Amino acid sequence: MSVLNTRRALRWVGVLMILSLLLSACAPAAAPASAPAAGEEAAAAPSDELTRANTLVFAADMTDLITLDPAVVYEFGGTQTAGNIYETLVSFNPGEPELVPLLAESWEIVEDGDMWKMTFQLNPNATFASGNPVTAEDFVFSWERVIDINKSPAFLVTEVCGISKGNVTAVDATTLEVKIPIALSPQVCLSVLTFVTTAVVEKAAVEPNLGADFGESWLNDNSAGSGPYTLSSWNRSVDVVLDANPNYWGGAAPAMKRVIMQNMPEVANRQAAVETGDADIVQELGPEQAAALEGNPDVSLVKALNTILAYVSVNATMPPFDNPDARQALRYAINYDNIITLLGGNGELVQEIIPMGFAGHTGTNPFTQDLEQAKALFANAGVTEGAVIPFTVATATAPGGVDWATIAASIQADLAQIGINLEIQLLQQSELLTKYRAQELPMLLMNWSPDFPDPDGNGTPFANYEAQSLAWRNSWNDATAIDLSRRAAAELDPATRTALYGELVEYVQNNGPYAMLYQPTRVYAVRNDIQGFIYDPTDSPTISFWLISRQ
Amino acid sequence: MTTFIIRRLGGLVFVIFGVSLLTFFLAQLVPADPVAAALGSNARNEQVEAYRQQLGLDQPVVTQYAIYMGRMLQGDLGASIRTRRAVADDLRDYLPATIELTLAALFVTILIGIPLGILAALNRNTWIDGGARILALIGGAMPIFYVGLVLLGVFYRQLQWLPGPGRLDSTVQPPTNITGLYTVDALLTGNWLVFGNAVSHLILPAITLGLFSTAVLLRMTRSSMLEMLGQDYVRTAKAKGLAQRLVVGRHVFKNALPPILTIIGILFGSLLSGAVLTETIFNWPGIGRYATTSVTTLDYPAVMGVALVAAVIYPLVNTLVDIGYSVIDPRVRTH
Repeated sequence: MSVLNTRRALRWVGVLMILSLLLSACAPAAAPASAPAAGEEAAAAPSDELTRANTLVFAADMTDLITLDPAVVYEFGGTQTAGNIYETLVSFNPGEPELVPLLAESWEIVEDGDMWKMTFQLNPNATFASGNPVTAEDFVFSWERVIDINKSPAFLVTEVCGISKGNVTAVDATTLEVKIPIALSPQVCLSVLTFVTTAVVEKAAVEPNLGADFGESWLNDNSAGSGPYTLSSWNRSVDVVLDANPNYWGGAAPAMKRVIMQNMPEVANRQAAVETGDADIVQELGPEQAAALEGNPDVSLVKALNTILAYVSVNATMPPFDNPDARQALRYAINYDNIITLLGGNGELVQEIIPMGFAGHTGTNPFTQDLEQAKALFANAGVTEGAVIPFTVATATAPGGVDWATIAASIQADLAQIGINLEIQLLQQSELLTKYRAQELPMLLMNWSPDFPDPDGNGTPFANYEAQSLAWRNSWNDATAIDLSRRAAAELDPATRTALYGELVEYVQNNGPYAMLYQPTRVYAVRNDIQGFIYDPTDSPTISFWLISRQ
Repeated sequence: MTTFIIRRLGGLVFVIFGVSLLTFFLAQLVPADPVAAALGSNARNEQVEAYRQQLGLDQPVVTQYAIYMGRMLQGDLGASIRTRRAVADDLRDYLPATIELTLAALFVTILIGIPLGILAALNRNTWIDGGARILALIGGAMPIFYVGLVLLGVFYRQLQWLPGPGRLDSTVQPPTNITGLYTVDALLTGNWLVFGNAVSHLILPAITLGLFSTAVLLRMTRSSMLEMLGQDYVRTAKAKGLAQRLVVGRHVFKNALPPILTIIGILFGSLLSGAVLTETIFNWPGIGRYATTSVTTLDYPAVMGVALVAAVIYPLVNTLVDIGYSVIDPRVRTH
């Protein structure tokens, strides 16, 4: 009897304990209930009441996002984000290749001994989001930060522009003086100065938060820019939230008070999000998703050109492609139309080393499949029927959404028609790159994306062996190509420069170790109530959120 | 009991050591170069070499492992090659999402699996039993990715009854971070709007992830209950006139519980691994998606981190199950 009583009592104690646990869990909920409500109001207040109508939801695969510090970002997602927060000295107008003033009102380039002296007059009206003016001193601080941090994009500043600590000076509050070695091209440097790496951060805001990493981690969660947006929050791998800068100096405040950049790696999810209206703009749809959205009355598809070029390259010191005739033969053997068909509209035929949208792009596509000519040229080079050539291909998806292996199979079939046997070797992409860098591959399929928005971003890598980039990897050491790429990069007069790039394009087209294939497009789906969406592959950012509004 | 727990935790050390060794050397066998993968095609040779040295990948493999273990003993899991953050920080960000999803799926599993299993056993060979068995068959046979896509297609895209992928609507900001579990944090801060939104976002992925384990638990509960219902003491209890409710609740279910508990422990493990697929389909920023991205980008420090977390969670759950036994079955304590 007493045992039973004890057990019953214990059970009651247990029940009471659970109840009290539940109550204690609820109790703190009652107390701060008003706090978050107040917080919500506070968050809404500065951007005068946020609604779904003045919020832009942009969904994309932003898996590549690793930093928001303008001195470190070099990935698509990062430059897209930082480009809407930070501003540079000069810029491009969307869709036009000419430089326009941004934070610099005007600039002047003169020879000064063995240096180029570039003097920039800053716009005296320019202010940071904090309201403080943008000064030359802020630029000196920002560029020295890039040099100190020395992450992926730092070479743009230190090598392409040749800027080092000490040759950037603030003459006065609005005059910035930069000296770069005479051997470098001020024109190329100006293009680099449109890129977000060279954007200005507010010294007064960043300096107190430098910490051990020059303020990089602070700038991942805070912003100190002069652009139309400020960083509200970055929830890693979920979203980046931007709020309109209420003090924006460069014109009217953006129509979209808040921009939510959602990370959505699955393409099917992106399709659903734009269909349901959960997202206003989604980036990059596959051919199937694009086809499914075709004819949807609420959604428009926008095709945007990347600056990427896909190409076949061959090693110019290994037989048979050490013979220029064999290289030309390869270019005549490929059925380009078939590759464009495989891409299902996600790529344009481009047979030159300068992509569409860049100054110097010639628009010439001289090669169409001509098997007779290919056969004759191969015969000149001593390549007979039955020759076997190893062809290395990455086990990945090529830009444009088709597997590299599919494109390789198409080229393999082309050459099989003239009795040449391409032996496809599939390699994990990083392995392929390692072998490519070691100059070990006789023939491969790859793509190139320029480091900065200037024809030199392609001219030097493709043509200049000494730059240790693509020409070097393919062992193509050609004096004419090297000389042309150097002169074109350095030329100050835009018309002469374009003409020089035209010459370079044609020379590489017919002598180089490449068969250029296509320039991929990226498909965006945009809800029809969204206006002002422009994609510009050369601009930084590629999408200017401040131009976007809702009907 | 204390020595039992200490022994279990001691075993954990060996598990961690073994898993780290296996993961580390398996990673060496993969024919791929993490540095080239991280730097992409534009980097020049000297940049690649510099980064290789910076990461210590130019050292012999055994030295690399020794360095890694030395750091790990100090609680440092190294830095992710891809995100360039401390792996521990990444895990802290992504683990709560997975735990929330897994617990929600476990909740669905228990809420549906056990009652249906009991009902099926009590109404053996009736339409209730048949229905439950068909449900178990479907749940066991449907692959996660298919279930997820169908549920999203029907309830999100067509009917729009439930929200789409993600932990919250994009316009809803997450609650103050306390535990990292949005539902719990929303409750703790009394933020009902966020709580409701987080729960509505949990429903589809929790069902997707929990469907298979629900089927398993249902079958297990049913067979365990049936076995107990046939025991002599049940007949005795019935014979002395005890109400059906008391016979089932006090005697049968309690004795049927140990095998059910075991299966829940095992199911928890399968839920964690199932979370990888579910997280991909439902855009769930958890450790499963982190692991997938890390594997595809050859981010070995991150892969090691995930493997170690999994290696710790499984034995911990098993230990909890063992402790659970001794609570429901006093005989375990004395043995």
